[in-house]
Amino acid sequence: MKAEPRTILRFLLEYFDIISELYDTQSKDGIITFETLNQITEKHGFDIKIQLLEYKVLSNVNENYEIRTVYYNLIEFILSEFKPMLPETIEKYHISIAELFRKIREQLNGDKVLLNQRISELSNEIRSFYEMVEKNTISLLNETRELKANVKKVDYREKIIRASRWIDEYIIPLNKILDINHSASIANKLYDVSEFSNKYRLNFDDENTRVQFERLYFQLIQVNDNLLRQSKILTNELLPLIERIRTESIILTGWITFLKNPYKQKVPKILKRKEVTVYSQDTFFNAAEIFEQFKNEEDVYFDEVEVEAEKWIFDKEHYTQKLKENLPVDNFFKWCNKTLKDDYKKVEIEKFFALTSLAFDENLLLEYTAKPEYEKIKINDLTLTVPKIKINNHGIS
Amino acid sequence: MEFPNHHRQIVEDLMAGKFILPTERTFEVLKENEDFYTQFFKASFNYDVRFTQDYVYMVSDESNEMLSRDMCIFIALLSYELDRDGKNFLERIQYSEFEMEEIENYLTNSSYIDLILSNKQLKDAESRRNFINTLNRRNIIEKIGDNRFVFTSAHKFFMDFASDIVKFENASEGN
Repeated sequence: MKAEPRTILRFLLEYFDIISELYDTQSKDGIITFETLNQITEKHGFDIKIQLLEYKVLSNVNENYEIRTVYYNLIEFILSEFKPMLPETIEKYHISIAELFRKIREQLNGDKVLLNQRISELSNEIRSFYEMVEKNTISLLNETRELKANVKKVDYREKIIRASRWIDEYIIPLNKILDINHSASIANKLYDVSEFSNKYRLNFDDENTRVQFERLYFQLIQVNDNLLRQSKILTNELLPLIERIRTESIILTGWITFLKNPYKQKVPKILKRKEVTVYSQDTFFNAAEIFEQFKNEEDVYFDEVEVEAEKWIFDKEHYTQKLKENLPVDNFFKWCNKTLKDDYKKVEIEKFFALTSLAFDENLLLEYTAKPEYEKIKINDLTLTVPKIKINNHGIS
Repeated sequence: MEFPNHHRQIVEDLMAGKFILPTERTFEVLKENEDFYTQFFKASFNYDVRFTQDYVYMVSDESNEMLSRDMCIFIALLSYELDRDGKNFLERIQYSEFEMEEIENYLTNSSYIDLILSNKQLKDAESRRNFINTLNRRNIIEKIGDNRFVFTSAHKFFMDFASDIVKFENASEGN
């Protein structure tokens, strides 16, 4: 590399917007095409293609480009934008750590230089392993929170699929890796390494090796603490959160499906209330429930039907004529009663009084006995006490 | 013959279609005498008692299907509207109080307004108030005063139903 380290770092700082955009492109598409590189640099108004290649930020892949791993990891780390890794990728550390540890144990009394080298390599592997676990936890948390907020408006069904995939493919296997009680887990293997290094940091003839074991031991104390914390994040925070997303999405998808056609779906059985005796303590509430069923029926309106009763009009002329024909009348009130009975069968009091008004006709001459005589006339349920009035022929003018 | 404590209360409540909840004294008695009550209701009425950790309830072939459907519609609408409003609907239904005013707002502004207006129990404020009383009597909600209520653990009965819709759908798609 020809350029000075500070020049490269200054370059990265100055053109970080372009580099960050190139990073996004590669993360999304896996590669940066020649056209995309041109578009991005032109957009920002700086043609830095030559420097990007000269400083080995980019490398050629056929006609296209990609960011070199070292820079990619640096930007990923700076942006904390990690993609969840499949546990299979992390599982490879199980093999490398176990293998180095086996060789250290077996050749403990062999070449000291090689032994120290192996302890150092083991330490590096453990560090890489922990960093990968941490990155994965962060990325899974970010992804889960994003899914929870649903900024990208992910469909409910897609949410169920994603949540299920993360649980089954990432979180549960990762949890197994971190489960110290699981004999095949990496955490369990690290525990063995820790025990071993603790023993030999105090009891080994070569001082350099003792120091190496000491460093490894303290590194492992720290790593174990951190792994425990990651494991807690997974079990206490991430797993319940993502389980909840999954459950919620399932329920909501179910309700949306139901609401599409609520009257054609089968519904759960709810017991039909039984008729109960009127002596029950709950009679009031039971009655209320029964009546409430009808409470919301459509309102029914009845138009008031007018009963067209024939209105009786007193025909004074007709009855005056009738009276004339019957003169003389010995008992006027009796005559009224009889006349109405003949005409209507049933005598109504209203008609009766109307007919008696003939007695007030000035043209009629009424005769009374000296001593008033009264008699009773029964009209329907009413008994009237009326005086005896006589009307003579002569009375008519 | 000896019967478990609160036997009469248990029979009356279950026969009235109530969900019996862990907060009630009868719940414990029912759980302790699960076999007895299973047989008792089967032999006496041919009813099945369902025991879960969140509620106990009774089912028969004579189901109040209309009421059940209306309950499902109500909870479905509420879940949908809460989610649309950016709320965590499951947590809200599980742990929070609701005010009638809030329910009114959600239902009157819902995009499912046609469905709501065509439903006798949900079509207007008065119907909804009566419906809430019905839910209260069945122990699906617990009223706190006239205008507020909380859902009881019996709401899970309906949430399980919603989950089953997806499971059955997926199963039938898989076949």
